Amino acid sequence: MSGRRTVYEIYWEILIYCKSPRSFTSIINRCDLNSKNAQEYLEFLTGKGYISLVTDGEKSGYQSTPAAGEYIELFSSLYQKLFDKTPGFRL
Amino acid sequence: MMTNALSLFKTEIRHFFLISLLNLVFAAIAIAIGVQYMVTAILAQAPDPFIPGFLVIPGLRVFTGAVALICFGLGISWILTTVRIFEGIVTIKDDLDNDGDTIADERLTCLIVRMLAHYRDNRRTIRTMILVCTLGGICFFVLGIANSLKVLTLSSGGFAFTLDNLLLIPAMLLTLSISLASLLSSYYFSRFADVWERRLREIGDSECALKQKLGLEEA
Repeated sequence: MSGRRTVYEIYWEILIYCKSPRSFTSIINRCDLNSKNAQEYLEFLTGKGYISLVTDGEKSGYQSTPAAGEYIELFSSLYQKLFDKTPGFRL
Repeated sequence: MMTNALSLFKTEIRHFFLISLLNLVFAAIAIAIGVQYMVTAILAQAPDPFIPGFLVIPGLRVFTGAVALICFGLGISWILTTVRIFEGIVTIKDDLDNDGDTIADERLTCLIVRMLAHYRDNRRTIRTMILVCTLGGICFFVLGIANSLKVLTLSSGGFAFTLDNLLLIPAMLLTLSISLASLLSSYYFSRFADVWERRLREIGDSECALKQKLGLEEA
């Protein structure tokens, strides 16, 4: 996803994408981030325990932890709540 | 909650798509008519010898040509701004249509985030489009009236004008429909912009909860 996003939207996107283990490069590509920013976001999420580095044989990747579920749920409910009300004019 | 959010989101995207499409069509017509009026204005520069007694306003056709040129410019500006917005909306609408009614919760949130990002990216463009649509509507209205004027005389006692009936009806119908379309577009775009601005504010307000969840701020 590209375009102007808030930091919370980027966190959410990384967490959703990393539900299955993902490499650093694929996260950069999918979330449209540069490597410096991606590193910072991943470090933050890892520090908070929302993402962990998993290794499968020779491959290693980032994967969301069960703790991330709470953030994802809260984020989804807040964003879907925006469409609780009609726009206020007839479509 | 999700079904309601999904149906509202779908309706909004569909309407926004339709308005953008309508804009594209009318912007193309506006360019074509702008060119046509410019050519007509240049060819009809000379005073009409068949109407004696009336002083032909020397600058009338020049004025019409100038307004037509403005309309042509506004038409181009109108189409360029609409295309930028239209492209983003088409991709979101296509994804929404492809997912059907059984859209996952995460997918819907993803599309909402995309739409918000698209709005943030094109905030200024949408504001410009509202202005261009309004100006376009007014210019086309003026153009329709000016082009249907055959002769206009001004004196200290008042003014007199002669209208060309053959030109008046089609010209007025065309310009009226374009004016109406552009003013309607302007209205709907401004309403949509207001709604999305309100949503951006709501997101700003709810960021506190997300901050707390991430442990960035004390409760």
